[in-house]
Amino acid sequence: MEKIIVCIKGVPEPGSVKVDPKTHTLKRESMELILNPNDRSALEMAVRLKNEYNMEIVAISMGPPNVIPLLKHAYALGIDQMVLLSDRAFAGSDTLATSYVLAEAIKKLSPFSLILMGLKSIDGETAQVPSETASLLGIPSLTNVKSLFMEDNKWIAIREIKYGEEEVEVEGPLVCSVLPTAFDYIRPPSLKRLLEVKNKEPMVWQASDLNLDSQRLGLNGSPTQVVEVIEKKIETKGVILEGEPEELVEKLIEVLKEKRLIKN
Amino acid sequence: MLERVKIENLSKGNILAFGEFYKNELNNSSLEILSPLKEVAQALNKKLILLFLIGSLEDIKNLEEIKRSIADEVWFVINNELKDFKDDLYTEVLIQIVKSSQPYGLFFPATKIGMSLTPRVAGALKVGLCAHVNYLEVKDNQIVMSRPTYGENIIAKLVSKSSPVMATISLGAFNIKYGEKEPLMKEIIFPENFSWSSKLKIRNFIPSKKKPTKLSTAKVVVSGGRGLKNKETFQKLFELAEILGAEVGATRPVCYEGWVEEEKMIGVSGVTVKPKVYIGFGISGALQHTVGMENSEFIIAVNTDKEAPLVKMANLALIGDAKKILELLLKKLKN
Ligand SMILES: Cc1cc2nc3c(=O)[nH]c(=O)nc-3n(C[C@H](O)[C@H](O)[C@H](O)COP(=O)(O)OP(=O)(O)OC[C@H]3O[C@@H](n4cnc5c(N)ncnc54)[C@H](O)[C@@H]3O)c2cc1C
Ligand SMILES: Cc1cc2nc3c(=O)[nH]c(=O)nc-3n(C[C@H](O)[C@H](O)[C@H](O)COP(=O)(O)OP(=O)(O)OC[C@H]3O[C@@H](n4cnc5c(N)ncnc54)[C@H](O)[C@@H]3O)c2cc1C
Repeated sequence: MEKIIVCIKGVPEPGSVKVDPKTHTLKRESMELILNPNDRSALEMAVRLKNEYNMEIVAISMGPPNVIPLLKHAYALGIDQMVLLSDRAFAGSDTLATSYVLAEAIKKLSPFSLILMGLKSIDGETAQVPSETASLLGIPSLTNVKSLFMEDNKWIAIREIKYGEEEVEVEGPLVCSVLPTAFDYIRPPSLKRLLEVKNKEPMVWQASDLNLDSQRLGLNGSPTQVVEVIEKKIETKGVILEGEPEELVEKLIEVLKEKRLIKN
Repeated sequence: MLERVKIENLSKGNILAFGEFYKNELNNSSLEILSPLKEVAQALNKKLILLFLIGSLEDIKNLEEIKRSIADEVWFVINNELKDFKDDLYTEVLIQIVKSSQPYGLFFPATKIGMSLTPRVAGALKVGLCAHVNYLEVKDNQIVMSRPTYGENIIAKLVSKSSPVMATISLGAFNIKYGEKEPLMKEIIFPENFSWSSKLKIRNFIPSKKKPTKLSTAKVVVSGGRGLKNKETFQKLFELAEILGAEVGATRPVCYEGWVEEEKMIGVSGVTVKPKVYIGFGISGALQHTVGMENSEFIIAVNTDKEAPLVKMANLALIGDAKKILELLLKKLKN
């Protein structure tokens, strides 16, 4: 059976972000993680393709063990195998180091026909990992993909660019990042699969399982380095008015007139 | 008219800026990113090169615009296969140029094309890549790049330990500047045996039906955040915009909630605006939002919280319920 690999990321619940004051990286171990919302459409696309072309789906995630529930959630949505890439050595990786680990894990899962990812995470939000991983694997990539199908053993993708939409034919395998708005309907987890996954555990691969070069991992293996984190201080600059809505609106209208946005 | 230079004879150690063409149309963000890069180049005593990959020179509509740019030189790679944007082929071409001209820095506008292409190039070169940079400076002979980051008002400053220094630069973060002297124009000649093939074939193009948002050039912006509580109240901003001749903007959470399309998002992940008047209803003023509107001439904030950052940065802040104030304002303006 042909294989689709979906990469999913655990991200902190918005508002619960903790930054390590020393390394300036996120402290993922101590945070409640949720599935990166943008990865939902990648999972949905994978499940639709699986049903259409009778394929198998493997979901992989690099992160601390508290992403396991997210992999199980992906199982309940319809994926077949779960792989967790977890090692202390991965902590603090930038996108190059992250893409290196993902690419090596993907190689280990060869052969595959397609890799799907979210457009961007909601924490790091670089949107770099999909194309960077493809580049390390030496295979083509497309971003902002809103639909994907097969024709004569080739992938046909519709991707969004600033100017419109392109229909692109690609000789696979390839990496696509999926547009968050690609689908009007995203399926909920299946109850049956939720029960099934209770007794399943993901495969866990560490750096040693992937024969990784330790020089290319984690904080030290990451070429981009945060040198300083500064807090922007804001000083009160204008007029702050309190009072009844009536008075406030009067004042607002006065200013809008002054600025000639409305006639006297 | 173009001086032809073999790829192996390109000058080395420059700052390269990627210029984006699509269907022969120049993307203006390519000129925007030259403004900060020119200062960086001068501080480091390097030349600034604007680099274009194009199908043919004849088709280009904005050549005059390019001649007015502040780049020291403009380099073109011209081949019919470059007419369409093909991620893999564009990457291959850029890698050849990096290998032979060993630039000090390589920068891209953070457009959809830029964001697709740049990570491929960085991956292939195995170098670091900074995303969505909105400020650049030179410290101790090193390029330091800033980007807003997690949390309310935190800016991260990054450096790249690898060479060339690579980054994508936020759209709208800088104004276009024009130069006095026409840059030198060169065509880069690739070796005979270079393969222009790609695994991608662009079969069809459907131009966008959506009108481009006028938000980024709007003179007046009325913008709403979570403090408006729901979609119905948010929609009232459109009535106000109509009366004031304004465009509607929004914060990220309300776009994600589906109160309004993502095109309306102001901030690092969205549009940068510089209106004469910006009015924010129920917006806290997180840095990710304010970097996209801080250059507004006059800022008005409506918020229940006196301590909200946007209230502090506003020229006029009204402390009160956003819904009540918006509705009352509409009522009065309609009379
Ligand atoms: C202050 C600060 C600034 C940073 N700036 C940069 C920077 O400029 N450049 C840089 O290289 N790094 C930067 N990083 C690091 C970056 O956030 C991490 O490398 C992160 O692990 C991956 O990047 P992302 O979240 O931006 O992923 P994106 O590229 O936005 O994610 C896109 C998709 O890739 C997949 N994916 C991403 N991560 C994983 C994963 N761990 N497991 C499985 N799938 C995944 C998912 O499908 C996701 O939807 C920064 C970190 C900090 C703390
Ligand atoms: C990587 C990353 C990128 C981001 N990019 C962007 C971006 O491009 N643009 C963006 O906007 N955000 C962005 N964000 C999110 C940003 O950090 C903030 O979370 C967001 O701007 C807050 O939106 P808000 O002001 O609508 O909501 P909140 O922060 O929840 O603020 C709501 C405000 O409304 C006030 N309020 C509550 N009730 C009332 C009432 N009845 N009447 C009046 N006021 C009321 C509150 O006091 C508060 O100040 C990004 C975040 C991350 C992590």
